Amino acid sequence: MSDPKPSTGSSRFQETAHFLEAVRERVARVVVGQDVVVERILIALLTSGHLLLQGVPGLAKTLLVAAISKTIHLAFARVQFTIDLLPSDILGSEILDQRTSEFRTHKGPVFTNLLLADEINRAAPKVQSALLEAMQERKVTIGNTTYKLPAPFLVIATQNPVEQSGTFELPEAQLDRFMLLHRLEYLKPEEEKEVLRRNAALGIKRDGGGAVARTEFDVIDDEPVGNIEDLAQAMERVQDVFVSETFLDHVVEIVNRTRRHPALDLGCSPRAGIALLKASRARALIHGRNHVVPEDLYALAEDVMLHRMRPTYEALAEGQTTAGVLEEILGEVHA
Amino acid sequence: MRRLAIALGMAALLAAPVNAQKRDEREANVGMRARIEQLVLPGPELIAKPVDDPKAPILLRVVATWPHGDAFRYDLEYTGFVAGRHDLREWFVRADGSPAEGLPEIQVKITSVLTPLSIRPHELEPVEPPAVGGYRSLLVAAGIAWLIGLGALLFFRRRRAAAIADATVPPPTLADRLRPMVEAALHGRLDDARRAELERLLLAHWRERLALREMRPAQAIATLREHDEAGALLRQLEQWLHAPPSDAARADVDVQRLLAPYRDVHDPLDGASR
Repeated sequence: MSDPKPSTGSSRFQETAHFLEAVRERVARVVVGQDVVVERILIALLTSGHLLLQGVPGLAKTLLVAAISKTIHLAFARVQFTIDLLPSDILGSEILDQRTSEFRTHKGPVFTNLLLADEINRAAPKVQSALLEAMQERKVTIGNTTYKLPAPFLVIATQNPVEQSGTFELPEAQLDRFMLLHRLEYLKPEEEKEVLRRNAALGIKRDGGGAVARTEFDVIDDEPVGNIEDLAQAMERVQDVFVSETFLDHVVEIVNRTRRHPALDLGCSPRAGIALLKASRARALIHGRNHVVPEDLYALAEDVMLHRMRPTYEALAEGQTTAGVLEEILGEVHA
Repeated sequence: MRRLAIALGMAALLAAPVNAQKRDEREANVGMRARIEQLVLPGPELIAKPVDDPKAPILLRVVATWPHGDAFRYDLEYTGFVAGRHDLREWFVRADGSPAEGLPEIQVKITSVLTPLSIRPHELEPVEPPAVGGYRSLLVAAGIAWLIGLGALLFFRRRRAAAIADATVPPPTLADRLRPMVEAALHGRLDDARRAELERLLLAHWRERLALREMRPAQAIATLREHDEAGALLRQLEQWLHAPPSDAARADVDVQRLLAPYRDVHDPLDGASR
């Protein structure tokens, strides 16, 4: 596999590890108990993947993304997807300038580093498709001109697992564009208690002649711990993370088992294996290792593979879940 | 007078079609039906005599009956089966069951268009059944098919029983699979694919040993890494199998010492890993 240029002791590797640790620490000051989600966002950032977060409202998704963008000094935009949203609302459009009588390009919110696509499944398929195309090609055509999207460009989309009426579920082919699908869970009781404790201490802020209650967004430190250059260097370090032949065998075995499993109609594509490998390398770097280990693979398998697997009707009728099947596959890899 | 003439005229007009339609067929061919209509016969009502004899020469049917003063008027239909003259009186009986007496002669003539004994039925020739076919052959074939089916059933049941017996042979346990793998590793005969399998088997072995089988795999491996004994092994394994070749820690891994305890490993839970 790749030649192990860095080691855990190399200065550049150490610098990157410190940078990533600082990002996690800074975000943890604002967001409680979402270490895994922070890790997943960093993995997506480091590997130029995209992330789909699935969870009920109120789990600090927007706060989390805002905190990360400020911590790394990234441009951040948020779009609330609704049924009447148009592709031009996201990508941009040409507007006739009344003074010059010429068309002027108005770039949409997609021209950013971090785009939070809130409740992506509420928008019509043509809007989803437009965004997913931009995610894939990292460029947008408005009128006759094609514009490159800024680098890095990361879409963090969310979807609500409840209230499915009036939504447009993302088909498998479009789900496959997301490198990771992370399922957000409620906080542990002690973490939730800490959230309440911090919220109670927020107080109010004077605004003009009046005052408003401070929110968690107000406590995000405006001073970043790094910048896009640091992030780019971290992305380079990911490429230096060593992958053994043994690890590749593990990845191939797991991916192949999804294709052979009788309860699955659709197993994982080679893209899933690539995503698993890339994500494992990024996770190894985040955890300060210069090589991947099986733990990376097992930790990421659910987020990388689950949304790429489709169970058979028979399996569904028997009450089997895709998560259960994947667990079985991972367990079998052990045996 | 004029009115009487009109009434008589109308009566004549009404009666004319009846008379025109009245049939009095006193002759008929053998087997052909003939009718005698509007025949007035004295005495109480008559009906056709029930015929029990299948060789009766005449079959009479009273089609319709009307009162006619003290007598009755009849429409009759008859079929003759034997050529010759016949008197239909013999084929009547009173409706109350008493014999039909006092009736006038009703002669009919039945003629045959064929000369007597001009047609004879063919003589039946006995035909021998064919060699193949026939009820007996069918029975024999059914018996053979039943025997073949029975034989096939017994044969496949025996094979299935043998397959089930084979299936009951327990698959190799984790320890059975692990020992040769460890032996090969100790002698440096493991390729990359088998090294990966060895690592999986060691992970599975420790999951069994620490009773983490029910735990989610990701959580189980994290727990194993925290365990004193298993964690040390896994870290050494990771160094050996996953660290870059230039990593100094990799060179420090003593594979012989690392794998020696697994040369004679036994299943931690009896049969659990099967």
